[in-house]
Amino acid sequence: MNKRSTGPIAALPLLGLLALLAGGDVLAASARTNYLQYCSGCHRPTGEGKAPNVPTLHGELGRMVAVPAMRSYLFRVPGAAHTPLSDAELVAVVNWVLMEFNKETLPEKFQPITAEEAARWRQDILADPLRYREEHWGAYDWK
Amino acid sequence: MRLERVIDHTCYWVDANARRMTLALARRISRRSFLSRLGMMMAGVASLPLLPVARSFAQNPIQEIGDPQSCDYWRYCAMSGTLCSCCGGSQTSCPPGAERSPITWVGTCRNPVDDRDYLMSYNDCCGKAVCARCSCHNTEGDKPVYFNSNSNTVLWCFGTENTSYHCTVSLVLGAADE
Repeated sequence: MNKRSTGPIAALPLLGLLALLAGGDVLAASARTNYLQYCSGCHRPTGEGKAPNVPTLHGELGRMVAVPAMRSYLFRVPGAAHTPLSDAELVAVVNWVLMEFNKETLPEKFQPITAEEAARWRQDILADPLRYREEHWGAYDWK
Repeated sequence: MRLERVIDHTCYWVDANARRMTLALARRISRRSFLSRLGMMMAGVASLPLLPVARSFAQNPIQEIGDPQSCDYWRYCAMSGTLCSCCGGSQTSCPPGAERSPITWVGTCRNPVDDRDYLMSYNDCCGKAVCARCSCHNTEGDKPVYFNSNSNTVLWCFGTENTSYHCTVSLVLGAADE
């Protein structure tokens, strides 16, 4: 997991998109690369996870962002909150996951999450994510 | 008797038409023209695999050097475990009887041939007793076990039928600068 991977030249084509997603911050690696490096080990490179222990990132997240309590949930689960990424990098990854894997279920007027929101939410790590989910969304299906 | 006459008539009709068409073709096209077109077609078909379209489907675009059975091999920069390549498998496939874990540890390694960093997925092969040969422990990007998602010392046999560790393979997920 070394950090020497991405030079500024390689990041140039993505700068516009990333700057938009990350509220103006310039990122060292693309959201896709950070997803592969920090998330794909468990959620798998194409995001389908491994039920029941690793939830899929397809479909349900797009519906979650329409509910304020669940929009913050995506940053308060321990895996996201503890990841060794900056707020700007983390929000770029989550917005990328939403647009890449949840196109069909995203609200029509989806506003990408900002780095300020992510910074605020990830401080407030959920001690019991399953219970929070049950109260604000619905119980996780362990089948 | 009548049937024989019908067959005769049909054969005559086919013969006559074939003769007429052959003569018409012979008047319009020279033998050299036919041969040159046939030659061009054969050369065209033979050169099809050389076109970029055909080459883009070629396997293994990454150029590599080194010995996959050695711990110094570039793909193993963040490897911790035993090498499947010397336990009856290869650097990318589990030995027979072992199941590849879908849950993995991901790191990056620099390929000395093109000097680019690649995202590596270290998948444990599980379901058999540990292979005691070719132990390999490299620590590039490794974190202590209290950061367990970033620790390559953790056994990653999750999501498999049997959680006993056998050996580890190293798959390239893609270039880190894309």
